[in-house]
Amino acid sequence: MAMDVEAARRVPPKQVIVRVRRYDPEAKRMWWQEYKIEAHRGMTVLDALLKIKEEQDHTLVLRYSCRQGICGSCGMTINGTPRLACQTQLTEVVSEANPVMTVEPLYNFPVIRDLMTDFMDFFNKHRSVKPYLIRKDKEEQESPKGQYDMYPDEYLQTYQYTNCIYCGLCYAACPVVAADPQFLGPQALMYALRFVNDVRDEGWGERFLIVDTEHGCHRCHFAASCSAVCPKAVDPAGAIQALRSKLFRYRLGLYKRRVSKVVGPPPEKGERIQLPPEATLLPGVDLKKLEEEPVVIKLPEE
Amino acid sequence: MTLAEGRRDPEELPNRPGFWRSSLNPWTVRTRDNPERVAFVLHRVTGFIILAFLLAHIIETDSPVWSQYFPYSGLSGWALWNHIMAIESGLAFRIGEFIVAGAVLFHAPNGVRLLLAEFFGVGVGRPGDPRPPYVPGTFRAAQRQWLYAVFVVWIVLWLIAGVIIFS
Ligand code: SF4
Ligand code: SF4
Ligand code: FES
Repeated sequence: MAMDVEAARRVPPKQVIVRVRRYDPEAKRMWWQEYKIEAHRGMTVLDALLKIKEEQDHTLVLRYSCRQGICGSCGMTINGTPRLACQTQLTEVVSEANPVMTVEPLYNFPVIRDLMTDFMDFFNKHRSVKPYLIRKDKEEQESPKGQYDMYPDEYLQTYQYTNCIYCGLCYAACPVVAADPQFLGPQALMYALRFVNDVRDEGWGERFLIVDTEHGCHRCHFAASCSAVCPKAVDPAGAIQALRSKLFRYRLGLYKRRVSKVVGPPPEKGERIQLPPEATLLPGVDLKKLEEEPVVIKLPEE
Repeated sequence: MTLAEGRRDPEELPNRPGFWRSSLNPWTVRTRDNPERVAFVLHRVTGFIILAFLLAHIIETDSPVWSQYFPYSGLSGWALWNHIMAIESGLAFRIGEFIVAGAVLFHAPNGVRLLLAEFFGVGVGRPGDPRPPYVPGTFRAAQRQWLYAVFVVWIVLWLIAGVIIFS
């Protein structure tokens, strides 16, 4: 789900009611707790929860780290939608007419305490698809004698998937994960495709074996909710369909793709490879023009 | 550890959402811009309706045979068949027929879309360089248009089926 930039400019209602679903593992008790907070412009759901933790209730447990949508630890169910708390403006989920917001731990994950969920299974599933480069030549894999060549269009086959921040939102939204806890899940299957697509990798046979099970890619029913909630536009739903069609071709013996060659020795330690300036610039940026007229970034008026 | 190495048996997982949460998941999770999920739910529901109809249909068409061994309310053979036919010409069964027609008319075209997307990977777009406003490729690809077409075809054919059944 794309970030709503405009939401940061709107003003949330003065007082916001936050309903949190809490869980106490010692007493094995689940209950809803309500807090009232003073909201201000630009406040995110994470800010609101931290304000509660600071001023009202120190026992509220949540997990966060970067506060900027990069670490993927603050995923929670906000008003029924799995979202990153730090990337969700209060104005996106509450309004003057309805100043109540519900916050729950991520669905489909075991809850540790309050809003904190256990990602062990999620990460184990990620590991189970072998998320690393596999070369047939084990000697070459352990001590590489050069770099692997890769062209920009081949890079684009994997780039989008590498944006995944392991936040688990896709996993929480998926109706199939809910019904079948052993289902590998959108994130792991998407990562299998990320390496199947990578021209530097030769391990697709192994990966196809791993995902070609009852709990693998055949289980996905293309509800595409994973893509709808992913904060990084990784699009796991499309990835799983692509993976399945490739597996289909592989089983028919029709799957083929280029494997990159080893080119050139790696740079010596400390040696810098001189790149032409075009190679390091974004398209459309003119260095000469930049020197003449410096860039002025206009900030929005307060 | 009964599963593949490194994966835990979900039975061991504490405090995992149970049967009810799992069954309710398609309804409780709210996602924006996601008609595919609506289609997923409809595909399930219509699938069950079609299955139930098929089972009932087999029992019904086979009734002259099985009723010879297990007579139903004193009737057997073609007598029971005629009895069933008389019941089925009633309004309740016409409504049931209408519902089954609706289920088939959604399930079939949506199934074609799913076959194309899931087995041949067509209509789901290609991986690329995500750019603002970060709409996932699958939502910009052809399958979304197919899905809207499925909804339109479904409603139109269902209305026509309604006219045929009730007139
Ligand atoms: S597309 Fe597949 S993995 Fe993604 S939410 Fe739907 S069923 Fe789950
Ligand atoms: S695919 Fe998207 S939603 Fe899923 S873990 Fe990665 S970043 Fe999060
Ligand atoms: S705190 Fe890091 S993604 Fe939200």
